[in-house]
Amino acid sequence: MLRKEQNDYLCQTDPGTPMGNMFRAYWMPALLSEELPEPDCPPVRLKLLGERLLAFRDSEGKLGLIDEFCAHRGVSLWFGRNEDCGLRCPYHGWKYDVTGQCTEVPSEPAESGYAKKIKLKNYPLIEKGGVLWTYMGPPEKTPPEPMYEFCTVPLNQTFMSKRLQECNWLQAMEGGIDSSHVSFLHRGDLSNDPLFKGSAGNKYNMQDLSPVFEVVENDGGLLIGARRNAEDDQYYWRITPWVMPCYTGVPPRGDHPIHGHFWVPIDDENCWAWSYDYHPTRPLSENEVNAMKDGKGIHVKYVPGTYRPLANKDNDYLMDRAGQKAGKTFSGVEGIGMQDASLQESMGPICDREKENLVGTDNGIIMARHRLLRAARALNEKGITPPGVDPEHHKVRQAALLLKRDVQYKDGAKEALKVKPGVRQTSV
Amino acid sequence: MLSESARMTTAHEASFRIQYPNSKPRAARIIALDPESAALVNEVSKQKWNGAKFFTSLSFTADSGPGTTDQGMKAWLGDLAGRAMDLAGEVAESDFVVVITAAGEDGRAASVIAAACKAHNKSLIGLVVPKDGASEEDVATSLDHLRPHTRMLVVASGRDYIETMLTALRA
Repeated sequence: MLRKEQNDYLCQTDPGTPMGNMFRAYWMPALLSEELPEPDCPPVRLKLLGERLLAFRDSEGKLGLIDEFCAHRGVSLWFGRNEDCGLRCPYHGWKYDVTGQCTEVPSEPAESGYAKKIKLKNYPLIEKGGVLWTYMGPPEKTPPEPMYEFCTVPLNQTFMSKRLQECNWLQAMEGGIDSSHVSFLHRGDLSNDPLFKGSAGNKYNMQDLSPVFEVVENDGGLLIGARRNAEDDQYYWRITPWVMPCYTGVPPRGDHPIHGHFWVPIDDENCWAWSYDYHPTRPLSENEVNAMKDGKGIHVKYVPGTYRPLANKDNDYLMDRAGQKAGKTFSGVEGIGMQDASLQESMGPICDREKENLVGTDNGIIMARHRLLRAARALNEKGITPPGVDPEHHKVRQAALLLKRDVQYKDGAKEALKVKPGVRQTSV
Repeated sequence: MLSESARMTTAHEASFRIQYPNSKPRAARIIALDPESAALVNEVSKQKWNGAKFFTSLSFTADSGPGTTDQGMKAWLGDLAGRAMDLAGEVAESDFVVVITAAGEDGRAASVIAAACKAHNKSLIGLVVPKDGASEEDVATSLDHLRPHTRMLVVASGRDYIETMLTALRA
């Protein structure tokens, strides 16, 4: 249970809101590199943290993220012509560079300097690991670049997708740290999905449906350990890292690529669910990449030409009641990503947490909210940089391993939880 | 035409959700295992709660009746008014139990509470709270004491987290 004012505090990320200020302390995924594939390609509209923006790559390949609307008459620059190192509004020909600086106002004499007095809001856009990242906070507080392992390995070792999720970011993110739902909602996929099946660890998931949890604070957020009984006086541990504010890692399975998510607010009622897969030591195989592109694992199939999932609320998520009854899927919705999204969207655009009834095993969620509230207050009231901004906090791995029952996972998995370039993930 | 899911997940439709209390108050029992955590529990108890009961000590008397430990002892919880309450009875009346220990303190008494929880099928949550001067090893020791017995084990930041958690659980 969370009081309404606390819920509003956490869920609202528009400019000027406390949590909006906090999100603006981080580099966030904004677009896939594939959305701006080459110089002078079509610009892309996007909304992040309640701000309408436009991204483009100019003739020299420079990236720009600017206010979507022309300063002249408010036309969307999505209709603009991307040419000669700038974006030209098709209405009256005003032109802007990647910094949002107006460079031409054709109706005014060039010598007048009128154009120099017009500048659109802009944010930096950098490319890393197949992702275009932006930082929307005060320029003087721009943090170092993100160092999540998936964006530091060679491009042939990593794959990223994104999907529109039509609900508030927090209820989506909370699914990422809620390990107890896996044995129910996703149980069919552990044995069927090409990016999950075959790992030795799956049997522990299926044999022990009542995991025991252990939550500890980490520098950047939390570590949430879920343990299940295993043979030889051991526990099977699955350890989920959460890095503030919205990065979650999924513990690995066998030698399958490692995956996880970012949950980035579009506005208060929509978010982008970013889904990565990477392998620390080898290129992804053709079969793996094809499976990811085909919507397997944590990825989804799309409505053609969009990043909206093919199974979405407009078609009742392609609910398959016969499949549900037959045990093909637990919820009747196909695919791990949409199994989560369908339920999280059903909570409503912004979940009413005053009515929820949490139990002890929800402590990961309780603590994540607690840390978010604490960090946002510290930032807004005292200017304290929140956890997760420091790139060192990004260097954490998810892990799945067997440990003797008397070993604390934070100790027993200490090395497994560290990013070590060139070293394989710890997985069962 | 919009699908049923699309229509039912709008903010407008959310306003038609029935407003009523969908749960009864929880009977929570919060038990401090050492003086350090007892001081915290004492402070937390001063907030307004939905019937949560707070205990700051655990003691034993020789007994061989029902609800006694394997060692033939009867366990008693000391409440904030200084009364001794029967552990087994308190657990039986509860919905869930929280044990709190300060890092490095002896939390082994959790096993007695866990046995009572097991006998009555109640969930046991364990919190390890910080203590001045405590080391990482102290935290690990406390976790070791609680781990075999709890469904959820948390290294908490202190009083603020205890209050947050109990509020979230409607204690």
